Amino acid sequence: MTTLFFATDIHGSDICWNKFLNAGKFYGAGVLILGGDMTGKAVVPFLDLGGGKYQVTLLQQEFQLEGEAEYQEMVKRVRSRGYYPYRTTPDELAELSQDPDKVHGIFIREVLRVFEQWMEIAARKLAGTGIRVYVSPGNDDQFEIDEMIRQSPVLTLAEGKVIPLDSHFEMISSGWSNRTPWNTYREEDEPDLARRYEAMIAGLKNPQLAVFNIHVPPHKSNLDEAPELDENLRPKYAGNALKPVGSTALRSAIEKHQPLLGLHGHIHEGRGHSRIGKTLCINPGSLYEQGVLQGALVKLVKNKIESYVLTQG
Amino acid sequence: MSDLFIRKATGLVRSWSVFDAFVYAFFSINLVTLGLYIFSQMYYFEGGLIGAMLLSAFFILFQVVVYAGLIAVMPRSGGDYVWQSRILGGGIGFILAVTGWWFILWLWVPLYGDMLRHIFLTPVLALLGARDAALWFSQTNHGLFIATLLTLAIVTFYIMLGMKRYARIQKVCFFGGILGLLIVVGLLLGGSPEAFQAGLESNSAALFGTDAGIYNATAAAGEEAGSVLGLTGGSFGVLLLTLPYVVFFNLYPNWGATLYGEVRGATDFKRNFAGMASALVVTTILGILTLLAIARTIGWDFYMQANGAWWNYAWGLAESQPPLPVWPYPALLAAFLTESRALQLLVIVLMSLWWFGWSGTVFLSSTRVVFAAAFDRLLPEKVAEVDERTGTPVIALLLMVIPSIIVSALFAYDILGFKSLTLAATLVIAVTYLGTTIAAILLPYRKPDMYNASPIAKYKIFGLPLISVAGVIFGGFLVFLLYQWLFDPNAMYGIGYSINPDGYKNGTSLVFMGVLYGIAAAIYFGFKAYRKRKGLDLDKVHAEIPSE
Repeated sequence: MTTLFFATDIHGSDICWNKFLNAGKFYGAGVLILGGDMTGKAVVPFLDLGGGKYQVTLLQQEFQLEGEAEYQEMVKRVRSRGYYPYRTTPDELAELSQDPDKVHGIFIREVLRVFEQWMEIAARKLAGTGIRVYVSPGNDDQFEIDEMIRQSPVLTLAEGKVIPLDSHFEMISSGWSNRTPWNTYREEDEPDLARRYEAMIAGLKNPQLAVFNIHVPPHKSNLDEAPELDENLRPKYAGNALKPVGSTALRSAIEKHQPLLGLHGHIHEGRGHSRIGKTLCINPGSLYEQGVLQGALVKLVKNKIESYVLTQG
Repeated sequence: MSDLFIRKATGLVRSWSVFDAFVYAFFSINLVTLGLYIFSQMYYFEGGLIGAMLLSAFFILFQVVVYAGLIAVMPRSGGDYVWQSRILGGGIGFILAVTGWWFILWLWVPLYGDMLRHIFLTPVLALLGARDAALWFSQTNHGLFIATLLTLAIVTFYIMLGMKRYARIQKVCFFGGILGLLIVVGLLLGGSPEAFQAGLESNSAALFGTDAGIYNATAAAGEEAGSVLGLTGGSFGVLLLTLPYVVFFNLYPNWGATLYGEVRGATDFKRNFAGMASALVVTTILGILTLLAIARTIGWDFYMQANGAWWNYAWGLAESQPPLPVWPYPALLAAFLTESRALQLLVIVLMSLWWFGWSGTVFLSSTRVVFAAAFDRLLPEKVAEVDERTGTPVIALLLMVIPSIIVSALFAYDILGFKSLTLAATLVIAVTYLGTTIAAILLPYRKPDMYNASPIAKYKIFGLPLISVAGVIFGGFLVFLLYQWLFDPNAMYGIGYSINPDGYKNGTSLVFMGVLYGIAAAIYFGFKAYRKRKGLDLDKVHAEIPSE
């Protein structure tokens, strides 16, 4: 029997990363899978006012900090939401406001700095445990993190690979998504996604005993319902109007090959499970900003799923 | 100068329109359906209705603070179920959420049906000349039951359409309904008591075949029924006692709260608050204006007497049929001020949009709770399945529809006194709110990291977290309501076990509510035990993973 724990879309949250690494021991899972979108969405400037004083605006609230203890406490608070603290001066901040390229550079630097810390934590926590960890960066993740995952002694970069989970089951993985309104790092047209999936599926011994670890959910699976947006990216009807935004290429692949299990993310509010034919598709959703690690615990035996449950740790 | 740099990433959307949030909340505390329906039943209360509306709105503003705060700390998380589960424990969260957001909606269905027949079916049929059909719907148990089945068909249709299309329908209904209300108020303000009396006599005779002198006969029947509710006045103590009735109408500005999206700052907290609070305030003002317009032309005393005459008969307290053989619907009474059948029909159709724009709420939230329970493995996987062809959650819908038909039949035919359960529909929801309110009070202390990382952490009253202070006030209000409903010391509500010797001891109500909580507890503990036998420890899957 293989027990796997799947989580996704932790978006830079230190708390969720630590919980993910601890989930194997906590739930008794031998395989951990992170479905993508590991990196944070925002950098929060810590404005150095001199004399050990700082000004920080978090969630539209202004904080005046004094001393190292308050500074570190705020760093922790910012990191808990998946944001990146950045110490700066009023002059530099004014300059950054006018220069998107420099901001992008800071983003990359901060993402990689935190990611490096994460790799160290993972090595420390998982070394010698025998727990296998598979990671496939999602559409929101910069390409620079792939190499760091490759270098990790305890993580396996799963993107584009066929990975045997045990003697019965194999897994294919991809963090690429269909097009979004945000033009993110890893997105492409549906025909390209279809080719990406078929290339991996061709390497499977038995697709019906496969796990499709694909970041984007299949179209019209009820796991892909996102708020409908107007042309200004404003949710229509106070967020009450939802529309399916999943991948049609993935849906076709699932309908055609009927894998045992689909593990998805991407749509944070799409928590749930559904069936496409015989395939059980799961999206555990994400509450990373609250430091809650939502996941799915799945037990695989011989040629079937023995049990599964969505977790909220 | 920017205080936050955001990169390109999925889901970074702008805030939704406060107006859209307002529309959803505005329909949830629906003046024309919930409001006029329950005000009409309050004919025997002392105290002024305007004061009661203002006082209840004051307390419910604290509910808005509590829910806006919870959304700010734990947005998009699934609402009461998750808030309570995370803060108070999984069992409490499940039992209170499924009773308040699912089971009790079975009882709401016949109430929706009762409103449908009174504000749409009966007046429209009468205006179209189908007098017998109109009176059949209005007066018979069969009529109520069929109206309930029609309600089920309509809300099922809404479910099949999906939230996206329903939201569009709701917006059209909002503007149409407001137009209808403006016409009604215009008719009332432009008319005179004498014109109304004459219009009532002629139209009632033409539409329903009533005898001459219906105005005086109705007033006499209402007086006999004990109609005393005033429009204004009433001491604070007397007004307080009206609140367990009034909240049937306005306790739900948070009904869409579970759907609100990502909160990234204090502005979003304020937007949540503004959407719900403005709905409460605007509805209260509109309600007061409507009541004043009614008082001006229909006459407050007559309006309440007509209500008393109707409900006294409907509740079986009077044997003879009321002189006005239909529910005294203010829009219909206002329409009697014009001789134009076309305008009368237009008024009724426009006003019915208040029902059509609101009725979808009965199942849309329920199906979400059914799904959430299935995702937590507390229900079979099948109940969360969606039919691929129609996009309809067939089994979840059946879990709403089938019990609703049974409860509707009990209600329509008043089997075991089910017609007395109206306020129980609000009581069970209030219990759910109380659980959430307690969770909100404890949130800053039970989940300090989560709370401190939220945009509401800085809002304090005398050094105490705003959400806790608001929670204590709203929680106190709920406890007062529950005490009044359940122990009914003044023998006024009839849904509890009255400790007043003259009060009603409503065994049906208590058993019904007990059964709902019993079913919820049985599902929770039953499925937990079943899953455990299958190797799934549900306590474990909801426990927090160590983060160190």
